[in-house]
Amino acid sequence: MPKIKKKRLGFKLDMTPMVDVAMLLLTFFMMTTQFRPEEATAIDLPASHAPYKMPETDIMVVTVNKEGRTFMGVDAQALRAQLFGEANKLRPSMEVDRDALRELLIQARISNPKLRTLVKADKDAPYGPVEDILNILRQVKITRFNLVTELERN
Amino acid sequence: MAALESGGESKSHARAGKKHKKKHRISIRIDMTPMVDVAFLLLTFFMLTTYFSKPQTMELNLPADEKAQVEVAESNLLTLRVTPDGEIFWNTGMEPAHWIEVKDLRKFLVDKNKENPKLITLVKIDREGKYRMLIKMMDEIAIAAVQRFSLAPMTEYDKRQVQKARAS
Repeated sequence: MPKIKKKRLGFKLDMTPMVDVAMLLLTFFMMTTQFRPEEATAIDLPASHAPYKMPETDIMVVTVNKEGRTFMGVDAQALRAQLFGEANKLRPSMEVDRDALRELLIQARISNPKLRTLVKADKDAPYGPVEDILNILRQVKITRFNLVTELERN
Repeated sequence: MAALESGGESKSHARAGKKHKKKHRISIRIDMTPMVDVAFLLLTFFMLTTYFSKPQTMELNLPADEKAQVEVAESNLLTLRVTPDGEIFWNTGMEPAHWIEVKDLRKFLVDKNKENPKLITLVKIDREGKYRMLIKMMDEIAIAAVQRFSLAPMTEYDKRQVQKARAS
């Protein structure tokens, strides 16, 4: 009746290659991850079929949030310090009103003529403030700029 | 230099090896399991948090001078008016406006431009409207490959036209 216990076969699997690959992937993801920079205001981007990728350097961003408030930011810290003062160097963008925006756009372009302008507005933002910004851009002779959107999938 | 030095060393080692018996290495076994566990945890975390899709952008060129007047024949002008609630009304020249559904817009633009290659599209969006309507219109215009278009402010006259179209 009593069964003879089978001797378990010692089963060894070499995990080394798997762990190697895992480490490799880990390194890859750690290197490529860039955490979303904190924003002054939450923006829900509208979707479009626009094919261009957003540039990452030499940019200034004019942001309009859901309530129609306007923010402006640039990517370089040195320029930020120059535009908004040393104390605000680390803030990605500052709330500005329309008149200040005009001056800031001009100053920023003088400091770095390579700056590209991005307009980033919430999809539920009222069109009025956006239209004002487009007019300001036209007045300060920025005739070429980009609207930031998300890729629409269908 | 390095090669030379290492060459020298190996020689001396070889000599030493001849004299003494090689010491038995004590095999050290470290349990790697916790490290691998942590590594996998991190891997999962980074895989889940990484997103590769960067935002897209839509390029827009505005005319440099807002006072620049372009003379356009009435028949070549297609006006699209967008109301605050996102409805679109179109008309050519001075004709009364007609309502059009958003999803029909793409085909409509393509057809109109085929009909009249000289057509200029004018987009007027109400200030009370949503920004998403601008993106929607620009997107449809880009997809329909409309080359000549322009943005204009919505005036009282435009609002009256829309109201008239709604009433009829």
